[in-house]
Amino acid sequence: MEKKFLILQKNTQDKMREKATTLYIGPQHPGITGNMMVKVQVEGDTIVKARTEVGYLHRAFEKLQERRNWLQSFTLLCRFCVPEPDPVEESYARAVELLEGREVPERAKYIRVLMLELARIGSYMLWYGGQNGSLGLYTMGQWSVGDRNYILDLFEELTGGRVYHMYIWPGGVRRDLPEGFADKVLRTMDYLEKRLKDYDDLMFDNTIFQKRTQDVGIISKEKAVEWGVVGPVLRGSGIKSDIRIDDPYEVYDKLDFIVPTHEGGDIWSRALVRRQEIRQSIRIIRQVIEQMPSGEYFNRIPNPHKWALPKGDAYARTEATRGEVGMYIVSDGGVHPRRIHFRGAAYVHGITLLEDLLIGENVADISAIMNSLGTCPPEIER
Amino acid sequence: MMKELKENIVKRIKANFADAAEKNDFKDNRLDFSVKRQTIPSILFYLKDEMGFIHLSHISCVDWLEEGELEVVFIVWSPKDKIKVFVRTRLDRDNPVMDNVDMIWRQANTYEREMREMFGVQFTGLVAPDEFLLEDWQGPPPFRRDFDTAAYAEKTFWHRPGREDAQDVRETIANRDGEEIPDFAKKYSR
Amino acid sequence: MNDKNSQKIVDIIQNWARKHSIWVLAYGTGCGAIEIPPTMTSRYDAERLGVRGAATPRQADVLLITGYLTVKTMKRVIRVYEQMQDPKYVIGFGSCTINGGMYYDSYNTIKVLDKYLPVDVYINGCMPRPEAVLSGFAQLQKRIAEGRANGAQQYKDNLEWYRANQKKIIPNWIMPDYNW
Repeated sequence: MEKKFLILQKNTQDKMREKATTLYIGPQHPGITGNMMVKVQVEGDTIVKARTEVGYLHRAFEKLQERRNWLQSFTLLCRFCVPEPDPVEESYARAVELLEGREVPERAKYIRVLMLELARIGSYMLWYGGQNGSLGLYTMGQWSVGDRNYILDLFEELTGGRVYHMYIWPGGVRRDLPEGFADKVLRTMDYLEKRLKDYDDLMFDNTIFQKRTQDVGIISKEKAVEWGVVGPVLRGSGIKSDIRIDDPYEVYDKLDFIVPTHEGGDIWSRALVRRQEIRQSIRIIRQVIEQMPSGEYFNRIPNPHKWALPKGDAYARTEATRGEVGMYIVSDGGVHPRRIHFRGAAYVHGITLLEDLLIGENVADISAIMNSLGTCPPEIER
Repeated sequence: MMKELKENIVKRIKANFADAAEKNDFKDNRLDFSVKRQTIPSILFYLKDEMGFIHLSHISCVDWLEEGELEVVFIVWSPKDKIKVFVRTRLDRDNPVMDNVDMIWRQANTYEREMREMFGVQFTGLVAPDEFLLEDWQGPPPFRRDFDTAAYAEKTFWHRPGREDAQDVRETIANRDGEEIPDFAKKYSR
Repeated sequence: MNDKNSQKIVDIIQNWARKHSIWVLAYGTGCGAIEIPPTMTSRYDAERLGVRGAATPRQADVLLITGYLTVKTMKRVIRVYEQMQDPKYVIGFGSCTINGGMYYDSYNTIKVLDKYLPVDVYINGCMPRPEAVLSGFAQLQKRIAEGRANGAQQYKDNLEWYRANQKKIIPNWIMPDYNW
């Protein structure tokens, strides 16, 4: 009797191994990082083949920008990367300044660095919520997204909007810092630094988090260089590369900060890298507030309806939370841009790298890997 | 230091590829080469393997409708020398064909899929599913300059008609609800 | 027990129960979805109104269309809406659902949501603040209590009109043509 049962069990297991099922981790799913689809073929619980399908958020920005002039494109540009719009504005402003040869005053550069680092901390707070939520630990999201509201309060006082700012224009920034703003920023930084200890206790000391993220989604050093990986994913594989140090822009060459790296290449190393970068951002903000000079904040642009840039092209890039964010603009001497082409970090991570990394992993780890690579569909499809 | 590095790169490229026209008058760390389209795979291989430009930043396509050509631009970066190189080539607009470069950099696969869908550039040897961003699209390649997006949107989708008069909203609400407009607001009414 | 007065009392109790437990489907269809996590977490806590997330369409009450809809997403949203069970509501979030917003000349986004799905409440803004979202939910609660939130009934009654509009923009229609 027992022998027959064992033979029956073995037959069903063999049958299951031959038949691969297709699952649509589709556009409506509580575990994915946005509106995209991952089509996986599974055998049992292991993934055999994966295909990413994007295009659910395609608005054709670059076609719309041919009908707007150089300044009206700003309202469209913010919506490229929804969780973190400031590096995109910064890349565009720098590309336009490169093309035209426009000077930016010193004070404006410091204010821009302040905005970028605040946006970086805010985006990392969202990442905390997403990464932990993908493993079932929901308390972290409640804490960190709640604390992110303090940073959004600062943005609202400075620019008028919580999420989309339109503040960094070519030639400087749009308005000066109000009275008492520097004190508010320093107080928020003190509060966040205290909270980071609580986050460590909850997240990195947690056995569940450690067991589920170590040795999952490994990217080796050679693979990282081969596949064009950028940002914290590259630093989590042991390669020290950061645009703020390699190709410095604004005043990053006058500020003192380190770029953390970790060997290992799994989700755990990347989480450690991101956690250390928050501390470095707080350090940078404190130095910026200390060193900020006084003076002009905007090199005023002429009438936008008649502002034409000289013929040529330019490429400017910024280090955003996810990696390299680049903007390529082409001008034919007119009031409307010829071509504006945006490149986000998720364009490389989300399609070719994700499809390769998922092979051999469990179905339950798809969400954790997507959050750790930082796939953000609005960036991929613009 | 930067100037010598740039001169060095220009000398080596021109020694190996006779048809590369270069532009070296930029203030920042940038170099520009224009080549014919048949030289593109070999010059990219040379830049990546022998000169240290291992990072591909961007591939882009620009439509020059008046000249009847499409221009494809590759932007590569060397982390060791810290210099950006732009490699550009021109294709005929009526029959744009280029060689596939995704054996050099894997991520070029995604860029080429998008260029094939949005501009109609054919890449010989590209293995990728047909549809990338658009589903069941029956029109011309949308990013070309002769495709009018506003006329297409007007024809296909229903638009909500706007307000006919230019009346101030505050007056409308005040008349409807019987409220008094405060003094500070009257100053700014039209 | 079937006379008008007892039916009115049953309706009042039913609407009171429904308005205090609105479950939102976890589907971020556009860029407005960035203000939903702040609404659901500690500062602007939406769970005190009974609003929480639901994982599948069969368990959700409200479909929150956050922002613009492309043609590709529209097909999936229609399918998801028809899988949801009564009572169900649709909230149009942001100015893109009202008149197309800033993508008014894009070839891939729809301009007016009301032609394709019945909308009960609009929340305007770009994007709306969490306080505006909570006020939108309060408005939906008021409509439910008055018995006026019947977009689902309107969809069933005028199915041919909605279908004709939907088929005009979606060329490859592969969904079941059922009726309730």
